[in-house]
Amino acid sequence: MKLTVFIGSPRGSKSNSTFLINHFETGFCKNNNNIIEYFYLNKINKTEENLEAFYKADNVIIIFPLYTDSMPGIVKEFIERIDTTKFETVKKLSYIVQSGFPEAKHSSYIARYLEKLCPRLKCTFNGIVTKGEIEGIQIKPTWMIKNTTFAFTELGEYYAEKLTFNHEIVKNLQKPYRLSKGTRVMLRIMKSIGLTNFYWNMKLKENNAYEKRFDKPYIN
Amino acid sequence: MKITILNGSPNGDYNTLTERIQSLKMQKENEGHSVEEFNLKEMDLAFCNGCWACWWKSPGICAIKDDIESILRSVINADLVIFSSPIIKGFTSSLLKKVCDRLIPLVHPYIELVENECHHLKRYDKYPDFALVALKEEDTDKEDEEIISDIFKRFALNIKTKVEFVEFI
Repeated sequence: MKLTVFIGSPRGSKSNSTFLINHFETGFCKNNNNIIEYFYLNKINKTEENLEAFYKADNVIIIFPLYTDSMPGIVKEFIERIDTTKFETVKKLSYIVQSGFPEAKHSSYIARYLEKLCPRLKCTFNGIVTKGEIEGIQIKPTWMIKNTTFAFTELGEYYAEKLTFNHEIVKNLQKPYRLSKGTRVMLRIMKSIGLTNFYWNMKLKENNAYEKRFDKPYIN
Repeated sequence: MKITILNGSPNGDYNTLTERIQSLKMQKENEGHSVEEFNLKEMDLAFCNGCWACWWKSPGICAIKDDIESILRSVINADLVIFSSPIIKGFTSSLLKKVCDRLIPLVHPYIELVENECHHLKRYDKYPDFALVALKEEDTDKEDEEIISDIFKRFALNIKTKVEFVEFI
């Protein structure tokens, strides 16, 4: 079986979206007859090729990071360019939306749009995964991310068998949907000892920009 | 009051929206406000490439050298920003979304709790209110309007401000 995946991250092949879908592929391709074809929406000069791939596909996943509370501009542009007169067969369309925020709630608003988009694209809605806490996933130690990567592999394996997402895995990936009281207390403690922003401070210092971190460059 | 209009109409027949924006602009100017309008389709604007230089290399400054700087400066010094766009396939235009993504340098990468949720910290002391004027497409229904309004409110919350009004025409 062939699955067509559109990667909607502006960072393309090096993105966290690609990282996650690669783990999905591990499960999906346990059956050697299965194949995933990838198309990168950040390659604007390949839009025609990407659209052709969409028209020909039967099973599609669009994966992207949450950008200012919805899809990145490159994904919206791709959606706008889809011409439903160019294909006959109704496709199955699934989505994976990942974000840097710890709670999946941030992605729930765009999820509602994406489901309603399906009939507009002559597609049947085939489920959505919303996953928070993804920023920095590629630099975290394996033990810290193994639950997530394993879940994506399981998700792929199930998709290969049933042609849809497993509801239990989707539900677990969505956790935490909101921050629990305990997590909020922990975040406040972490903030007070400067741990919340460890990742950002590390990157700012790497780039000799730490002292300028509170700059307000555009005030008249 | 300083007002910035971000006109996100791409090429096409969006005369109703153009007329509404022009009448709104005239009304605000007649009330004594200064209005700066950006016609996004005529500007050199790239998509955000997710490099995050604006957060960790040159804090607050976008690394892509195109026309975004004039927009960022106008937005952060305004009292009200009116986003304007036709609805295309159920959502505001990719042209407008491109600019929304590029507003990220206006906030700080650090995270804080707001209404018990994680959000970015302010970079600036003051932010303009946001408003949206959207032109309905043929199949726009009440649910579409609700979805667009809700996402716009979330966007405002993350850019450290609030929504003054949302208008569908």
